[in-house]
Amino acid sequence: MLPNRSRTSVLVFLLPPLLLYCAAVLFPILQSLFLSFFSWNGISDMEFVGLDNYVRMFVADDIFWRAFLNALVYLAICLVLQLGGALVVASLLTSLRRGRELIKTLYLLPAVISTVAIAFLFVRIYSIDPVGLLNQLLHWIGLGSLERPWLSDVNTVLAAVSAPEGWRFTGLYMLIIYAALIAVPKELEEAAVLDGASKWTLFTKIRFPYIRPVWITTTIMATTYGLRGFDIPYLMTNGGPGQSSELLTTYMYKTAFTSTDFGYASTISVFIVIECLVAVGLILFLLKRKAD
Amino acid sequence: MKKLFRAAAVAAATALALTACGGGGSSADPANVAPTGEIKPREISWLLSRPADGAVINIMKKLADDYAKDHPGFELNLITTPDRPSYIQKLETLAAANKLPELFDTDATPFAQQLAGQGKMVDAEKLLKSLDLYDSYRPGALDYQRFDDGSLFMIPFQFELEFIWYNKALLQKAGVSVPTSLDDIPAMCTALRSAGITPIAIDGQDQWPLERYVAYQPFREAGPDFVQQLKKGDAAFADAAGQKTVNWMADLGKADCFQEGFSAQGYSDAQNLFTNGEAAMYNIGTWELPSLATDKLNPAVRDDIDFFTLPTTSGSATAANEFVSPSGIGMAVNTKTYDPLVSDFLKFALQKYPAEYAATGALSPTTDVETAVPANATPLYKKALEQANNLGAKQAMPWDTQLDPTTNGRLQQELVLLVQGDITPAQFTETMDKAIGQNAPKFFK
Repeated sequence: MLPNRSRTSVLVFLLPPLLLYCAAVLFPILQSLFLSFFSWNGISDMEFVGLDNYVRMFVADDIFWRAFLNALVYLAICLVLQLGGALVVASLLTSLRRGRELIKTLYLLPAVISTVAIAFLFVRIYSIDPVGLLNQLLHWIGLGSLERPWLSDVNTVLAAVSAPEGWRFTGLYMLIIYAALIAVPKELEEAAVLDGASKWTLFTKIRFPYIRPVWITTTIMATTYGLRGFDIPYLMTNGGPGQSSELLTTYMYKTAFTSTDFGYASTISVFIVIECLVAVGLILFLLKRKAD
Repeated sequence: MKKLFRAAAVAAATALALTACGGGGSSADPANVAPTGEIKPREISWLLSRPADGAVINIMKKLADDYAKDHPGFELNLITTPDRPSYIQKLETLAAANKLPELFDTDATPFAQQLAGQGKMVDAEKLLKSLDLYDSYRPGALDYQRFDDGSLFMIPFQFELEFIWYNKALLQKAGVSVPTSLDDIPAMCTALRSAGITPIAIDGQDQWPLERYVAYQPFREAGPDFVQQLKKGDAAFADAAGQKTVNWMADLGKADCFQEGFSAQGYSDAQNLFTNGEAAMYNIGTWELPSLATDKLNPAVRDDIDFFTLPTTSGSATAANEFVSPSGIGMAVNTKTYDPLVSDFLKFALQKYPAEYAATGALSPTTDVETAVPANATPLYKKALEQANNLGAKQAMPWDTQLDPTTNGRLQQELVLLVQGDITPAQFTETMDKAIGQNAPKFFK
């Protein structure tokens, strides 16, 4: 426990970042909440419309629901690739004797490449005319019947724009999980092995419970990033064809800056904030309950 | 915490109320085109959406430098955002904050009309008349910039003609000839596809190129008025002219007219497809003359390239010499910052601009200068320029500048689905008519 005087000084030092946080995060959220009760195109007079925007969002807007479902699918694909992929790679890495650093760096590489470059890269990979990498590979391995314009096909486009985002951050989460895995006490593992535990039991009973706190953090990070995903889908397809790869975020952006319907866009952004909070709450609830 | 929350809410409300108030006020008179007083040189800005090293920017830079020689302290700060969606976002945000610069680019969109209605743009017709330049402009170039009520608030810097470029050798290989009617195109595509040729190269990523096609049938069937009525909800896709274009677009899709996966392909992808000799047709304007009608064009196809203008249909309401002839994004003058300096600079620049622009090989928006054909041009260059001398009175307006932005976005999305065969013409019609019904009243009260 700190003595009184130093507690005051700690508070004094904490205040500036808190104020900065309020100005940069809380204020815009409150501003959106305020705007969501208005109809405003930026240059017209602001007109108070009460809950009209919310009613429109929940009842009358087919694109909103489509975008919401798309966002959930996008999130699911990102999570599987990022957390599942990261866990597999990190586990394999711990059993590797040499070349760990090289592999870690290679996996982390996509996370440091600019989003725009990744988007363009994948547009080329998915392309059919001229033939891109994916279609070429399918052709070579005799799956030519699967060749298609991945970004123009309404059935594949959502998965196609989710994969780059998932792929991109796998390395980052792998690094975090790897760090947690190598911190698992060796004596615990050795004791379990002496007791005859299989590799799978070792993982589910010793390693995973040990890294659970880190797992919760990475899940929350990956989920909130996934729910806020915007740049790659926006750059690759702009939500198309039709609304097949429209996410809540891209839809909100278009509503604000293409349709200049700032009131309604704020309504969608309020929904995104609540959706993120609910998701984090759910994760904490589920994973904590399992731990108890 | 509750207190803090309340304080923040009040702060948010106050800040918004202040910006809203700021947005409304503008004291200057849009009709006052000749402000009196002393010319005090300063830096002025032009927010524009044109290629960074393009002719317009280069010439205006040069003219600004010339002007600064006699007016020390003057500087023209050109802020360009060539990517149109990003530009529009920038413009709208600045307009909302009431921070538009002295000069800014905009199409004759419903949003721009609202700005003009609030007195934020100088009356361009009066301005050009006061400079004695009005009559030198091509009527078509000015008409393109006008709002529905005929008022003019933007000044054009270009004049372009849109053609359908085609590859003679590929058409011959497929045994088809240049279409005499728009209705011939689907069958033509089928023949080209059977010969293993991509019929039409299109940039699907930018969306406006596909939206051009939906405008063609109604322009021929019902004339330029159709889109004017459609955007207000006074006409519908369910009407005869609307159904004709919806079914025609679906037919283009069924006949595989566009390259596979077109919706994810960009501007240069489409152009390469045509200039490599893989695609038979390509719809683009005279701004591409330097790549399509000079020795920069791939020698393998150079002698095979030609163009035709928008085909008519039987009983067409518009003539063959009437098609899409845009004068590009226009420049608006901000009323709030319009002073003797801006006025004097515009007088200087607008008088000298046409001659400089025509010298680069481009079509000037005025008729008082002759375009210089570049030394490396193919005969097609001159042929293309000559089309400008023989234009009819009506012009096909690109729909993306006409519809309200929400309907426009929806149309661009639904069109891809219609052409790809993901939705039926009936579904398309229902969705679009509903979208217009919902969104148009907000913009065209």
